Amino acid sequence: MKHLRMLGFLLGLLLAVCVLPAEALDLGETLKGVVTGGTAVTTGKTGEAPPKAEAVPGEGQPAFSLKSPSQEQEIEIGREIAGNLLGAAPLVGDAALQTYVNQVGRWVANQSERADLPWRFGVIESEDINAFAAPGGYVLVTRGLYRRLENEAQLAGVLSHEIAHVVRSHHLKILKQSQLLDIGAGWVGKRVGTDREILRKVIGSGAEICARGLDRSAEFEADRMGVALTVRAGYEPYGLPEVLQTIGQTGRDESRVALLFKTHPHPDDRLVELDEAIGNRLDAVRGGKTLGNRFYRLKP
Amino acid sequence: MKIHAILLAVLLAVPLLPGMTRAAETGQALKADVLRSTPYSDARTTGAIVRGETLQILAKKGAWLNVKTAKRASGWVRLLSVRRGTAGSGSPARGVLDVASGRAGTGRIVATTGVRGLNEEELKGAQYNAAEVKTLDGYAQTPKQGEQFARRGGLRAVKFAYLPEPRGKGGRR
Repeated sequence: MKHLRMLGFLLGLLLAVCVLPAEALDLGETLKGVVTGGTAVTTGKTGEAPPKAEAVPGEGQPAFSLKSPSQEQEIEIGREIAGNLLGAAPLVGDAALQTYVNQVGRWVANQSERADLPWRFGVIESEDINAFAAPGGYVLVTRGLYRRLENEAQLAGVLSHEIAHVVRSHHLKILKQSQLLDIGAGWVGKRVGTDREILRKVIGSGAEICARGLDRSAEFEADRMGVALTVRAGYEPYGLPEVLQTIGQTGRDESRVALLFKTHPHPDDRLVELDEAIGNRLDAVRGGKTLGNRFYRLKP
Repeated sequence: MKIHAILLAVLLAVPLLPGMTRAAETGQALKADVLRSTPYSDARTTGAIVRGETLQILAKKGAWLNVKTAKRASGWVRLLSVRRGTAGSGSPARGVLDVASGRAGTGRIVATTGVRGLNEEELKGAQYNAAEVKTLDGYAQTPKQGEQFARRGGLRAVKFAYLPEPRGKGGRR
């Protein structure tokens, strides 16, 4: 029994999104002043092989700058990341499910400052417990996480957390910093053909950005905003904390939470942070709905 | 001696039985807090819990859990003050299962674990899937469709400010 309890102690935490460690952030910060003015690569001959290393700083027009990307560019970046992630884990082949998560997600996103983005939500084929956001309004939840949800308010809570990452451009900030790091590494200025190729340089290979973590404060912020968005959408406010509690019961050593636990603070820490932020602020919130009846359940 | 063996066998077997896990839900106090007679912050205090204390969870109502302590004090406590952990779920049961199936240490790699997690190499090597991106586009809803969906569920937009960062925690940590 004692043994069980000790192992219970090791039970872990929650929701994911893609990005980089804190040290890299600071380095990015220092480089920011050095490399500005959109040095980010010029278009040259298409079809040229991607550069290996050693590069001469280019002098052409910036074809793609992350300094202040337009909304179109932001969506383009997100689309590339989402498309790569879908290459690793395709959509669950259940149109009713996908439509349902888009309905819930769209309604929640309507309550944010970025209701104008073309939001897209999806459930992907993975038994991992995780969720991902990419710039421009892409949100993907794993089947493994969806399976653990009990009602619409909890789904709204999960999507709200991811929506918050998009609204605050958390991933874009990380990309800017890593782009600067790459410039430091010397690839920039090499002429690399199309915008698409440049985009790939910025993002890195495949969906590797999803295997990195945002810094802890970004996760805590997304939790706080997530609860607020859930409330704004008229749901019972505790959808997200409940999911965090559920995930916290999953053993740390289980492979299905390995990535999530690697990229996020422990669920206990997130709950404690949320508790402090909430205080008595939710006491006056009445009439929030859970909508367990309407919740779309996966076929076994 | 025999009784111990039986007890041990029962202890090991319990987590393996699906459906029994919900019976005894326990939790752990994440912080010291007070217990109240009803699930309201102005309700009468009926007791207190200390950090790390194991609690029996009897019921849930909104943001509150009805709990009982080992000292038999009971009452309602805020949901976020408790980490829920059901006896028999999560890694303990998993550990037992691993031992039982011979996965632990015998070198027999068992395929029953099923799906592998999304790992870094897999994500790194992922190739853009244009067809899936297009399918994803097809499910997108307009803001208006979102509103209609909300109305059908009786949901109403509420004005509510973003929660501020807890005091004394500015910036990155």
